[in-house]
Amino acid sequence: MKRRRFFHILAALPAASVLHGQQAGPAGASPDDLPKLEPSLPDSAADPVPHFFTAAQFAALRKTADLIMPPVNGSPGALTAGAAEFLDFLIGDSDAERRHVYRAGLDGLNAQAQKRFNKPFADLDNAQADLLLAPLGQPWTFDEPDDPVARFLRAAKADVRTATMNSREYGAGRRFVGSGLYWYPLD
Amino acid sequence: MPQKEYDVLIIGSGASGGMAAYTLTRKGVKCLMLDAGPLVDFNRSRQVRQAYELPYHGFGEPGRLPHVAQATEFNANQWVDEKEVPYTHDPKTPFNWVRVRMVGGKSLFWARMSFRLSDYEFKAKDHDGFGENWPIDHAELAPFYSRVEPIFRVAGRKEGLKQLPDGEFEEDASPWSESMNRFIAQAKSRDIAVTKMRRSLGKGQFASSLNLLLPEAMETGNLTIVPNAVVRDLTVDKNTGLVNGANFVDRHSKREMHAKARVVVLGASCLESTRILLNSKIANSSGVLGHYLHDQTYVTQGVVAIDKAPGGNQGGGSGGYVPRFVNLKSGKEEDFIRGYAFDFNLAGTPDAKYVPGYGAELEKALAEYRGKAASVTIMGEVLARYENIVSIDKIVVDAYGIPVLHFQCKYGDNETKMLKHAMTTFEELCRAAGFETLAKHDRPWPPGYSIHELGTCRMGDDPKKSVLNKWNQSHDIKNLFVVDGSSFVTGGYQNPTMTILSLAMRASEYMMDQMKARNI
Repeated sequence: MKRRRFFHILAALPAASVLHGQQAGPAGASPDDLPKLEPSLPDSAADPVPHFFTAAQFAALRKTADLIMPPVNGSPGALTAGAAEFLDFLIGDSDAERRHVYRAGLDGLNAQAQKRFNKPFADLDNAQADLLLAPLGQPWTFDEPDDPVARFLRAAKADVRTATMNSREYGAGRRFVGSGLYWYPLD
Repeated sequence: MPQKEYDVLIIGSGASGGMAAYTLTRKGVKCLMLDAGPLVDFNRSRQVRQAYELPYHGFGEPGRLPHVAQATEFNANQWVDEKEVPYTHDPKTPFNWVRVRMVGGKSLFWARMSFRLSDYEFKAKDHDGFGENWPIDHAELAPFYSRVEPIFRVAGRKEGLKQLPDGEFEEDASPWSESMNRFIAQAKSRDIAVTKMRRSLGKGQFASSLNLLLPEAMETGNLTIVPNAVVRDLTVDKNTGLVNGANFVDRHSKREMHAKARVVVLGASCLESTRILLNSKIANSSGVLGHYLHDQTYVTQGVVAIDKAPGGNQGGGSGGYVPRFVNLKSGKEEDFIRGYAFDFNLAGTPDAKYVPGYGAELEKALAEYRGKAASVTIMGEVLARYENIVSIDKIVVDAYGIPVLHFQCKYGDNETKMLKHAMTTFEELCRAAGFETLAKHDRPWPPGYSIHELGTCRMGDDPKKSVLNKWNQSHDIKNLFVVDGSSFVTGGYQNPTMTILSLAMRASEYMMDQMKARNI
């Protein structure tokens, strides 16, 4: 249980019932008297450990993320937001189809880069990489593209943007970005 | 221990159950209401949080609610857990059954779009020959609509449209934006009406049975609400053949309980009420219980277009509603029957996925398009077909040991042709009004997405072809009423809540008369 949630619950309990077996405080004491501790999120105190993609796939994903969502007008981009690191976790936790879209797409990008420029996608300069991201310039259609790279790029465009804009780094100082009314589990 | 007995047992506390309680208790009828979910304290249950504070940073836990497209990581806990209360369907024909279990039901979360059905729906067979007519018409239900609308404070503008009858509105006199005036002019040239949205204002945060119906019912002292009561089935007096109560399971303890009453009202939602009846093996001498499942097709972002003129979003509201405008003459003017509506806005910002490009170029385009994008949700009538059916799954049970529903439901050619027509028409209107199309499609969400499930206990005059009579009363069991959307014969293109509320009020008043006359 997250500590913030724990204190939220604690604050809602009658004083006499707080922590079974512990003596109630002095008469008139309120749970509100408990000190308010501000815990930290793991992302702000530690670094994620990517484990799903291969090193080559992950390097290509970081490069793709940087191109899709670079820093613009002072806003942090995907690299600062750790979008690729988060997607390594998210995609690794997703169903087989979504995992395949990413893996096949990243492998395809690396294969195309190798074939056209004789190096992996992550090592391309931006002008070279832009050539391989050309499918993102096509008009949107309801049906997913058949080409694995085009299909991956379409998914990555949406996911990288969301991962970036929902990050702590991007949300800092923006009141309404990436926030919402969260429902706790029903009693 | 003597068993408690109530005048009326109401199962479900949403729009229909809430209206039954509101109507009956104010006339002195002692009611017991069971709801499968908790009575939620909204102040304690919700909190504004940042996406990055959530485990999946706002993406949602993969695979948690595969049938609820409306679910986000923020609101995932408000929907019924599909593992706790599953259902089954052929993988090739999915049904998105979107459910809420808490006191107030789906009326806590509805979009508040508040329309009447017209005689194009009530007497649809007379108009185009398909299906069945309702056993009532608009004139018969109109007095009840007129009493429901002020309770929910429906805002709107009277337009005098036969296909969308006016109601008792709180007048919406707000002006249109410049781009809307352009759009309306184009629509008018094609004999297409554009209206202000008709929407329930409610009170405070909600337009729900929880704040508009149940408090008044409770104040009478005649209503007892038991939350967390998951109804297993209804019980029948073997001597009389009448229903006499319900077996239910306490959601927390799993304790089996029985509630007794003189009359039973099902208002548990179309499909939960049907499931209870199917599990009870009653009220189905017609054989149509569970059949004729229909809802409305929903195509979201059917057309996304950009206003090429500057300042189009200035001067007033940019959201509107286009009620059905096709097949109003012979009923068969197009290559499909019935019709559809547009719920649209001309001053949005397009989702990035519709804008080609990436990186700085994409951000620049999005900034340029901000407040200039037209988008539309197409809502089309689904024909009520016998072969679209729910039945009891012979193997799967839910967490309470109650057999679950199996769905066999899909849309047909009529729906496909209608949606293509709708997409094309909206794009043409936008283009004529000075918009440039960015993206378009005519693919509906799977059946169920609209959360407007209807028709599985249809009403009718003929007991061989319908489950309920025109008073929402079982043909087979006279002290059993079903007051939710399951009674619909056709659903039209309109959101059904106002009709459900009006039918529930009407049925409850009839029920009282019958109880007074000792007919039930």
